Amino acid sequence: MLKINNYSKSYGGDKKAADNVTLHVESGDIYGFIGHNGAGKSTTIRAVVGVLDFTEGEILIDGHSVKTEPMECKKVTAYIPDNPDLYENLTGIQYLNFIADVFDISEKERKERIAKYAGTFEITDSLGDLISSYSHGMKQKLAIISALIHEPKLMVLDEPFVGLDPKATFALKEIMHEMCAKGTAIFFSTHVLDVAEKLCNKVAIIKKGRIIASGTMEELTEGHSLEEAFLEAEK
Amino acid sequence: MNKAIILLKNLLLSTSQFNIFRYTTDKKKKGNVIGNTIGMTILFAMLMAYCIAQCIGYGKLGLSEATPVLCALLISALAFVFTFLKTNGYLFNFKEYDMLISLPFDIKTVAACKFLYMYIKSLPWYLSISVAMLIGYSIFAGFSIATTILWLLLSLCLPLIPMVLASFLGFIIAKIGSYFKKTNIVQTILTFILIIAAFMSRFVIESVFKNGQVRDVLEQSKAATEDAAAIYLPADWFAKAVNELSVTAAMLLIIVSILLFAVVFAIVGRYYRSLNSALRSHAASGEYTMGAQKKSSVVNAIAFKEFRRMTGSTVYLTNAGVGEILVSLLAVLSLVFGFDRLVSTVTQNAPIDPAILRPAIPFIIYFCLGMISTCACSPSLEGKNYWIVQSLPISKKTLYQGKMLFNMYLTVPFMAFATLCICISAKVSLPDMLLYLILGFVLCALSTTWGCICGIRHMRLDWENEVEVVKQGAGVGIYLFTNMITTMVLCVGSVFLGMRMDHRILAGIVIAVISLLTVLCYKLVMRLAK
Repeated sequence: MLKINNYSKSYGGDKKAADNVTLHVESGDIYGFIGHNGAGKSTTIRAVVGVLDFTEGEILIDGHSVKTEPMECKKVTAYIPDNPDLYENLTGIQYLNFIADVFDISEKERKERIAKYAGTFEITDSLGDLISSYSHGMKQKLAIISALIHEPKLMVLDEPFVGLDPKATFALKEIMHEMCAKGTAIFFSTHVLDVAEKLCNKVAIIKKGRIIASGTMEELTEGHSLEEAFLEAEK
Repeated sequence: MNKAIILLKNLLLSTSQFNIFRYTTDKKKKGNVIGNTIGMTILFAMLMAYCIAQCIGYGKLGLSEATPVLCALLISALAFVFTFLKTNGYLFNFKEYDMLISLPFDIKTVAACKFLYMYIKSLPWYLSISVAMLIGYSIFAGFSIATTILWLLLSLCLPLIPMVLASFLGFIIAKIGSYFKKTNIVQTILTFILIIAAFMSRFVIESVFKNGQVRDVLEQSKAATEDAAAIYLPADWFAKAVNELSVTAAMLLIIVSILLFAVVFAIVGRYYRSLNSALRSHAASGEYTMGAQKKSSVVNAIAFKEFRRMTGSTVYLTNAGVGEILVSLLAVLSLVFGFDRLVSTVTQNAPIDPAILRPAIPFIIYFCLGMISTCACSPSLEGKNYWIVQSLPISKKTLYQGKMLFNMYLTVPFMAFATLCICISAKVSLPDMLLYLILGFVLCALSTTWGCICGIRHMRLDWENEVEVVKQGAGVGIYLFTNMITTMVLCVGSVFLGMRMDHRILAGIVIAVISLLTVLCYKLVMRLAK
């Protein structure tokens, strides 16, 4: 579903923010992307979702190139940034309808999905309020709902659990499992190694822009915890 | 629904005051919306009244035929300047870029919609000028349905060409800036170069009008139209369309506007993603080595933070620095060419004795320095970061003092430099020079304290784009308007009274009055801090 081949990105200097990154996420995978702050996770994720321009390497989503066929890629992708900048002066429901309009979701389907996920994240009552009045966690929940509303084939999430309460964290994990069972590929970055260990079937560790370890959870941990494997790889 | 329409509709809805009023449960926010609406209505009414009055003046001189050209030139000039200053932040490098680009929108659609959003949001200003001038024109030229329809229809096109050109210039500047590590600084320098070039070209254009043709301008509206047309063709097309009901001219204006928009946004769209990627992503050097650290007072620390805030934002830096750049330019030109020659150039050799303008030197300097929105460094610019200063053990009093100190650091050195240069070139005596320095200092202090009051009274932290608090908003509007009127009254008053009484006594009185006003404003700031 997602193929990143030899992707590199530098910001003008000699140092590369992403250096020859290669990883493949299949349908049904929950792929964790871990690394220190500034390791290159967000740089890679932003290139995957078409936000960041790049010159070296290739990124394919569902067989389409992010560079040459961005629209085809975006139609099947949902992205949740680490700190979602939503339109503060729209109400929650106005924002969700905007996203549903963009993805051309029928009125019946959008109503069903909004009701389902807003109920799961317990923000139904707040949907009529302006987003500016939402807490960080509520904004994060709204961003997650907006990502789920069009049932994407690929979900790209940058630190999705930050700001979520325990109940919402649990709900999101359940939804991720549910989506994965339906064949959706999930690619997400996180610092919470415990969550990654329990949730992911594949993991990649990035350090200074380079992938230093990747594979299935079993291959990577070899009987140890992910935390131990991560610290070992980071040495 | 077409995706461009969906996006445009959403962009408009997301900044709609009506939407905020309708859905907010915060009474203060509702009050702000009402206050802003009343303030804007008053500003629209004043602008329209000014335009009608200007048209009546022209009409009484028998120049009503020149009104369409004036209307077109005025709208075009305003549209160009305001768009140029807003492109960075509205068209590129905007907050919700990541969210929008990750959605299935064609990149050109996003660029075009952001432009159209800017166009629609500023249209009421241009239409109010246009409608007012149409009323003024109709009073003298007579009412005609065809003219009215053409005028209104073409008014929608008038801002398009200058806005597209300004956007393209902004795009080129941003593109050049994106190749450098210090993007903001490079963009700001390029912007200043363009502003100075525009400032200088104003004199060139004026000289075209004034050299031997000033009478024609006043006496023959056709000559005025031709002169304007030679400089800016769309103004001629507009004038021909409404004066002569020329369908060809009307079609030319419409077609060229649309074509230019299509061509420019095809180019901008092509480089839009790479440009925003470069503007929004910065490499961290990671090469810092710990050295000696300096301690400074809290007020100075806040002032320094404000300085870094300013240099980190092209919008803020351009806005805060334009006055300083202009005043420095004026000072250097004055030294190079001499005060008398500068006065005769600015006044186009009008029979004015430069000596009578000397008492106005501090006000001329202050006019440049004070035209920036001093309240920009008010709490509004903290935006969502306001929690940082709120959660620190800093009283509001200290916070405001720090912000005011920063504004003084920013304005006073430039004021002193310009005053010294101009006074030297104008051969002002040493005691007068000292008086002008003191006067300049108290004017800067008044501007700072008054700006701070406007900023605190109309604090807005929930902005989507810093342009909203740096260039727009009730605080900025009130500050700029009152400051402009006060400076003009003081300037004219000092020249007028300077001819009738001892100019040193006059300067002393003005210093005393302004000092008193500054103290009152400062006390009000401290009261607001409580």
